[in-house]
Amino acid sequence: MRPSHTLFIFLLLLIIIDGMLYLHAKRLSKDLKEDQAIQAIAVAGLGLTDLGVATEARYTRHPAVSDPMAPFMDHPGAIEHFPTGSFWSAPTNMFSQKY
Amino acid sequence: MLPKGLEKQLNILDFSLTSLWRRKLKNLSIMLVFALVIFLLGSFQMLTGALTSSAEAVLENTPEITIQKMSAGRQEAIPLAYIEKLRSIYGIRAVIPRIWGYYFDESNLANFTILALELGSMPFDSNLNLTLAHGHFPKKTEPGTAVIGRSVQDILGLDKRRTFSLFRPDLSLKSFKVVGVFSQQTDLLSNDLIVMNLTDARDLFGIPVSMATDLCIYVANPTEIETIAKKIAVLLPDTRVLTKSQIQKTYQVVFSWRSGLASICLLTALVAFAILAWDKASGLSPEEKREIGILKILGWETGDILAVRFWESTLVSALAFIIGCTAAYIHVAFFDASLLKAVMVGWSVIHPPFKLLPSVTLADLLLIFTFSVLPFLGATVIPAWRCATVPPDSVIR
Repeated sequence: MRPSHTLFIFLLLLIIIDGMLYLHAKRLSKDLKEDQAIQAIAVAGLGLTDLGVATEARYTRHPAVSDPMAPFMDHPGAIEHFPTGSFWSAPTNMFSQKY
Repeated sequence: MLPKGLEKQLNILDFSLTSLWRRKLKNLSIMLVFALVIFLLGSFQMLTGALTSSAEAVLENTPEITIQKMSAGRQEAIPLAYIEKLRSIYGIRAVIPRIWGYYFDESNLANFTILALELGSMPFDSNLNLTLAHGHFPKKTEPGTAVIGRSVQDILGLDKRRTFSLFRPDLSLKSFKVVGVFSQQTDLLSNDLIVMNLTDARDLFGIPVSMATDLCIYVANPTEIETIAKKIAVLLPDTRVLTKSQIQKTYQVVFSWRSGLASICLLTALVAFAILAWDKASGLSPEEKREIGILKILGWETGDILAVRFWESTLVSALAFIIGCTAAYIHVAFFDASLLKAVMVGWSVIHPPFKLLPSVTLADLLLIFTFSVLPFLGATVIPAWRCATVPPDSVIR
């Protein structure tokens, strides 16, 4: 067998795997749409503002309604110390619109 | 019978594959490191994209305007007397006081979110019980009742027990009866939630009857949200006014390339690539140079040698790209992005299962491709071209 034929077989295998993942994504998308309809009801009915991804600090639990300065408010000169703070960027343009 | 040009390219491809296989340890290592970098970047992008699109889809119905009272740069309880002041603004449909806050459970080191509001006055109120796996939301006539998220149930170890107690600020205990548990479908939003009556929340947090945590405002005409927000800011200068669009905008920027971990991933990828490119661009090894010289003596043209180098680089980088992106999808979709999740939830004791659809967009794939594959091709083909244009006898001597 020519080396290029082995390569083509390997590529075909990758295409089959990716095709199966595509079908998985289609099915998951359909399932998630049903979940999101229920989640939208919870958001409207309870007035929720945030996803509950990280619950360790108030500014990562509710970034939408927290002050961007919240991570540094513990005491004068406080530094941000929660691990999730390294993942979440401060919503810089959120408070740019002043009323 | 294949066309002559294609047959030639197939032969060159065969030669390239054989050449790659001859140095398999080196080439496989490069491909694996390359795939790992692409996997990290891809996982990050797919996870944050999924969270951003989830937030976009479900936070469509957040309160139109939220008012928080500020004092010394911090949020504090807002007087209910402000509701009377707000009645002077034309266009406000409803003002709903809300009490919410955090309860730190010291025995489990978990942070619960406590939420209380007049459920009867909220939109979609009639369908709200659909969000529960079983039970109902606390009624005004049911003091001491609560609906809890699934993780709260697990952490409090309730199992079949229906009652639990929380400490008031003076360390006296307040008991609650569980009348409902949130459905698994709302885990992303309600995992750490405890929903109760306003009276119970006031009692638990020690908030006076005349105060609330914030006010949710709904307007008659959604196109007037910004105008009404400006009027509120003028009327109540000691408050922070958040509109629905600002809340929705938060999740478009909160996970981004600027965030710390993303920067680290990006920098690592760039440094790894820079080392690789520097190694390649600094010249070919004497063995590789000799190989090129011999090929030229045997009659190969410069174009053919470049084609071999091009195929080699393309194969290594394209296979790394495909394998890296495929692994990134599998990591996010089937393994809850477990490598990134640990960093993302930090010290959180409560975190939801990440049932997310990895975000795979053409723009993201092209971005990763442009940052990784194209420079690699450039860094390998250019030195080969420099070497291939040198007279062969000077190379093999």
